Amino acid sequence: MAVYVQFLIDVLSLGSLYALMALGLVIVYGILKLVNFAYGELIMVAGYSLFLLGGTPLPWLVMAAIAVLMAIGAGIATEYAAFRPVRSKSVTAVLITSFAFSTLLQNAALLFISPRARTVPLPDIFSDTVVLGGATIPLRNILTIVAAAIMLAIFSFIMKKTVLGLAMRAAATKFTMARMLGIPANLVITSAFALSGLLAGVVSLFWLGRIGSVVPGIGLEPLLVAFIATVIGGMRSLQGAVVGGFLLALIVTTFNYSLPPELLKFRDAFTFSLVILILLWRPDGLIKGPATGQRT
Amino acid sequence: MVFRGGVSRLVLAAAFGMGLTGSAMAEDEIIIGGALSLTGVQAPLDEAGLKGAEVAVKALNDQGGLLGKKIKLINIDGKSDPVTVGNNAINVIDQGAELVIAPCDFDFGGPASREAQNANIVGISTCASDPLYSSWSLGDKQFTLSMWNTAMGATAAEYAFKERGWKSAYVVTDQFIAYTKSLSKYFTQHFKDLGGEVVLEDAYTQGAQDFSAQLARLQALPEKPDVIFISSYMPDLGTIIRAIREVGITTPIMGGDSYDDPSLFEALGERFGNEIYFVGHTWMGAEAHPDMGKFIELYKAQHGSEPDTSFVATGWDTVMLMAQAVKIAGSTDGAAVAKALEENEFDLLTGKLSYSNAELGHQPNKSAALIGISGGKPSFLGWRRAESQPAP
Repeated sequence: MAVYVQFLIDVLSLGSLYALMALGLVIVYGILKLVNFAYGELIMVAGYSLFLLGGTPLPWLVMAAIAVLMAIGAGIATEYAAFRPVRSKSVTAVLITSFAFSTLLQNAALLFISPRARTVPLPDIFSDTVVLGGATIPLRNILTIVAAAIMLAIFSFIMKKTVLGLAMRAAATKFTMARMLGIPANLVITSAFALSGLLAGVVSLFWLGRIGSVVPGIGLEPLLVAFIATVIGGMRSLQGAVVGGFLLALIVTTFNYSLPPELLKFRDAFTFSLVILILLWRPDGLIKGPATGQRT
Repeated sequence: MVFRGGVSRLVLAAAFGMGLTGSAMAEDEIIIGGALSLTGVQAPLDEAGLKGAEVAVKALNDQGGLLGKKIKLINIDGKSDPVTVGNNAINVIDQGAELVIAPCDFDFGGPASREAQNANIVGISTCASDPLYSSWSLGDKQFTLSMWNTAMGATAAEYAFKERGWKSAYVVTDQFIAYTKSLSKYFTQHFKDLGGEVVLEDAYTQGAQDFSAQLARLQALPEKPDVIFISSYMPDLGTIIRAIREVGITTPIMGGDSYDDPSLFEALGERFGNEIYFVGHTWMGAEAHPDMGKFIELYKAQHGSEPDTSFVATGWDTVMLMAQAVKIAGSTDGAAVAKALEENEFDLLTGKLSYSNAELGHQPNKSAALIGISGGKPSFLGWRRAESQPAP
């Protein structure tokens, strides 16, 4: 019994993080049809913000809020620095500029802070445990699930009930048409990057909560996870990103639990084989999004 | 690997094609070349080593240099990429380097040593500890300053089994690089040879940031192990130990020199940083070596802050070891310096060191520093030397 509870909580908490990561990536992809390769660095920015605030007497919630704001700021900065100047010209150029911006941020952290891991402040509640159905579970995992549920609710409210959300969904479906109908392109795109930063910022609090420290290369794994989750779920669908995130967490955790230690080192090989099988069965991902329009 | 060899040979050929003027221009100085990585995964270890090496070069020059010549240190960032490391080694050798400092790991440092060997000069890695870092695989002029993992694993096993009487162990191996894999292998082997029992061996992958399944297996063990041995790297090492401690498991945890990182102590803090022991290179205090205080003073004067890890001492030691060997040899000739390194014992901040001859792999014979963490603070438990070691 205990092990099933543990498994369930592990899948849900990891899945919550994966889903939010994937959502942050796909919201930009949906509109621009371009993957933001500097996405992982938003998590790094939030992490280093927390580290720098660590010495101040501010309460943790304030530090966390500032860190999330910094991630949003970095998201918007990505748009201004890497996407806006070249996005209407060439896909290749945007790929390169987003990689360049990612490298720039990473190297800034290396140069101005340190290549060594830096500790981030965490609230005590992140290190507490609860006993659920006989299993000892870190309270942080439950908080992760709750926070993800709240974020998903807010996100779906914005997308479905607000004008901005409607504009963004319209832009994701057929950008040219949306622009002809008077939707300001720059506003929609900047909002998408800001939302992407918000999701990354919230993810970073819980992701770093697991680790306790931040390094310049911290963003690689989240970027990879988000990318795979969106590919499984469907690159054009917001629901798909969430489903993909949870499914990836289920696959990874199941392999983690069931593979014998000798085979565990090949876990990624098993995971990706399964991803390939899913893609052979559903080449467009599990959930098909709206029919794609032309890129801007 | 094949690709790397091909590329670097090509570059080497090009370098030779451009002329061999490099080594002739340094009449009044001895150049030590480095390909230490200041960016990428290797940077936490190499950056510290380079800073220590810079302090050593300045200290030597202030005392009049080496063989009457000034020492100059040229390092080109190896970017944690084996191909780049190899090419940078060729570059610094072409600029006239007569000794090479290689990055702190077999995977990343090996290429620099191979190029040093091709140029017939001595190369020393600051802290590569995989037994692959030997004259067998790299050549008769190549050394590593660190003890091998055979010694590191054996020292940990003997401390656990003999000193503390821990009879059963749970071992976690990060599948990241040769270092993390071979350290667990030699610990496990020696622990079993001593008569201990390894109840479970589990695997982890650096970067996954998720230890929950391994933790579930650990919690499900019918009998709790006496000690947990974890071979991993920062930052994931912090994740693993936190995950174990968070659920109330207070079993002692042991590991190797990758634990020697202040960010680990901070990440664990007072609450989780207890009952942790590791085998490292040295301790940044006078208890480890009478000259340590002097080194820390010089370091502070040059870099403006306290060293934040004992890996800085490996860089200082590498340069000092080179200098002592060159002094004995009376020249920087590769064969003569290698001979001096093989035939003498050196007293270094990271312990007394002597090497076996090239037929025996240049196996380092070195003491290991045993360090404990309690209340989030490290403390020096003394020097140890394993009574026996598994064969590499």
